Amino acid sequence: MKVESIIYIYGAVCVSMIVFNIIYNILLKQNESSLKKRCEKIGKQVDIQLNAIKDSGKIQEKHLSYMQHRLRRINNLIAFEKVLKDAINNGKEKEVNKYISQIQPVILYLAMLYSHRENMQAGYFTYFLANYAAKKQMPIDSLQDILLSYVKKDNLYCRINALSALYNIGNTEHIITAIRAQDDGVIYINEKILTEGMLSFTGNHNELITTLWKNLNSFSEHTKLAVLNYIRFKTGSYKEEMLSIMLDETAEKEVRLSAIRYFGKYYYEPALKYILNFVSNNEPSKWEYATVAVAALEKYSGDDVIKALKKAIHSPNWYIRYQAAQSLDAQHLNYNALFDIINGSDRYAREMLTYRLESRKLQKAGCGKQ
Amino acid sequence: MTDVFKTFFNYVGIFYIIYMVGYASFLFLSVAVGSSMLYKLKRQNKLKNELSGEYYVPVSIIVPAYNEEVTIEASIHSLLALEYKLYEIIVVDDGSSDNTSKAVCDAFNMHIVNRPIQRKVYCRQEEEIYETYEYKVPITLIKKKNGGKADALNMGINAAKYPYFICMDADSVLQYDSLTKIVNPVLEEGNVIAVGGAVRPCNGAEIKDGRVISYRMPNKILPCMQVLEYDRSFLAARILFDKFNGSIIISGAFGLFKKSVVVDAGGYDVNTMGEDMELVVKLHVFCREHDIPYRIRYATDAICWTQAPEKLSDLCKQRRRWHIGLFQSMLEHRKMFMNFKYGLVGSISYLYFLIYELLSPYIEIFGIFTILLAFAVDLINVPFMILFFFIYVMYSAILSLTAFFSRIHTIDLKLAVTDVIKAVGLCVLEVSCLRFILAWTRSSAIIGYKNKKHSWGEIERKRIEFK
Repeated sequence: MKVESIIYIYGAVCVSMIVFNIIYNILLKQNESSLKKRCEKIGKQVDIQLNAIKDSGKIQEKHLSYMQHRLRRINNLIAFEKVLKDAINNGKEKEVNKYISQIQPVILYLAMLYSHRENMQAGYFTYFLANYAAKKQMPIDSLQDILLSYVKKDNLYCRINALSALYNIGNTEHIITAIRAQDDGVIYINEKILTEGMLSFTGNHNELITTLWKNLNSFSEHTKLAVLNYIRFKTGSYKEEMLSIMLDETAEKEVRLSAIRYFGKYYYEPALKYILNFVSNNEPSKWEYATVAVAALEKYSGDDVIKALKKAIHSPNWYIRYQAAQSLDAQHLNYNALFDIINGSDRYAREMLTYRLESRKLQKAGCGKQ
Repeated sequence: MTDVFKTFFNYVGIFYIIYMVGYASFLFLSVAVGSSMLYKLKRQNKLKNELSGEYYVPVSIIVPAYNEEVTIEASIHSLLALEYKLYEIIVVDDGSSDNTSKAVCDAFNMHIVNRPIQRKVYCRQEEEIYETYEYKVPITLIKKKNGGKADALNMGINAAKYPYFICMDADSVLQYDSLTKIVNPVLEEGNVIAVGGAVRPCNGAEIKDGRVISYRMPNKILPCMQVLEYDRSFLAARILFDKFNGSIIISGAFGLFKKSVVVDAGGYDVNTMGEDMELVVKLHVFCREHDIPYRIRYATDAICWTQAPEKLSDLCKQRRRWHIGLFQSMLEHRKMFMNFKYGLVGSISYLYFLIYELLSPYIEIFGIFTILLAFAVDLINVPFMILFFFIYVMYSAILSLTAFFSRIHTIDLKLAVTDVIKAVGLCVLEVSCLRFILAWTRSSAIIGYKNKKHSWGEIERKRIEFK
């Protein structure tokens, strides 16, 4: 190949790049204006129905087939979402809710349709469901069944939005199935997102927790962790169960640490001696257990606790010392009780406690000014 | 004698053809991939395929500062305006000779504390530590002995309370949603250890509460050309390399790191000038040698606005530093080169940075000398040379413009007609003139670099107009 040919090929590439840029820019501008037109068109129809709901409590029959036809196109669905959003912002939330519940056959049809579309469109549909259409205790089981198929899709956002829609509907059985479905190891959902999701569940939390607990061992470590964190945020009535996890040496480290944290949130006398055992364990490989246990002691009082914390503040491990200073501070001891540390020979312990006391003062002052 | 020259020029010609075709192909591929990624992200954004801002991980923002008296207050105010749930700000004054610490203490009512700091990674001794809790997030100021930017960052890592940290420059402004955006890859994938943000010159942009109010191309020619250059390099190299986990640069102006992995890898290298690149390469090496599954990602929508140098001398200083940093990192981790143990990072990324970044100024200058020599011995086809140069300039300029417009279109910025004209005109100037000036600067950078290892790259600072 001659050099000239290469030059001409690259020249052609240059030209095509600039053409692409110009065309894309034109398309973008067209898209903006067509979205406006779509919003106006769909908005008019929705407005008529919202007014009908106000007058007679019902939407017109023909509207269902109109919407079923329209919302098959993703751009129309985007416009529809915008119309609903605007209506809610204009104080028509009640009417919108009624409207949504009356177009459920359309939503069911769309749920089937979009479950076969490419992942990004499916993701958008689940977003729409989670934010507008999936409401508390929605009576259609078939929609929930379809949502479970979205949870299995190979798209993180689709899974998260579908889970979110299911949390909104609030059916325990479906949530358990969905949590198990997402735990297939194909797509990773961060445990924070899972926990936050469970916390947003609109159904009966006690029932959900009971069922989750029954299924706990069938989950992977990170889902288990999300469930335990959710239980910690929601209820203090799982002390015995958490104690058994905390003491189970075959359980995963993070899971056991989560159980120790549970007792840092909820006081449980029988757990104290085990927490103290974790604190007194000087094995270097167990420092994480000791650190979390020292932090949990913030919730407990008594001579044994203070003695353990005073010992922990002399630990060679920085994190244990840091937490011990925090927990000692939380005991609200007077200067005399802390005299041996503040004036002791261990510089590291002294510095850590002094810093903690200083920083608490600053935090208090800061809270006052904010 | 003429035959010797002819043979020499033939070989040189073949070398340059291969070199230029390689570069052109890479540039085309990377701009095409980068540009399509931006459009995909825009579509993803339109179809709400993104995490909502309600999810977060706690983050420590480390701001290393050296003689930043003029800009530091505005920088901290910009950080306080970030829309994020849980973070802390740690300013590390690396022995400034001006009143950086005083400016922070006065502006934010800081109080001295006796805070013990654990030395997880090496850094020089702290002198004083100040804290305040009067704002929406805690602010810590650490005054330490001068040790360079890497040393200051290491101090910040040691003082950071949270599991992830952000490194940034004291003269930069983070966009209001940048923390949410840079954290998203961490929430999306379980093994992400570092995320690079997009750094953009703020010259010409008006920013209020971390939001861009108006965007114009800078008035001065030099920053204007840098806008185009930044877009090309960020869009090109970063996005393409991100596709195969091959990014070896996360800009020191804005990057997120998992603290535990950075600590295990030894933190920032205090003996290098390019500590940002060195850390990322080190993380690749560390994770691959210890069989740790990892991802280093690039978040195109996490935006940091930075001041581009407005004087040529400042720009040259900056590029000299970058080139020395590149040289040191590549030398330090030379075992990666074409070593399949390091996967595509060792082959594609390393090779690209070696040929088209580290050696490119020498290759380009050698090319110019060869042209001069060919003139002298009358062995050059002048019309062809001009055509070749013209095609090169057009090609590079159009790719720069593609990168620039892709960015502008996908983040819904509106440009004035004069800005478009400016961009078109200056991208030609950038590839035909600035590139060669910077090639000359970079080629001389390595001379005497050993004497500069702890120095901060000082450029003239302007007060950031943060409203």
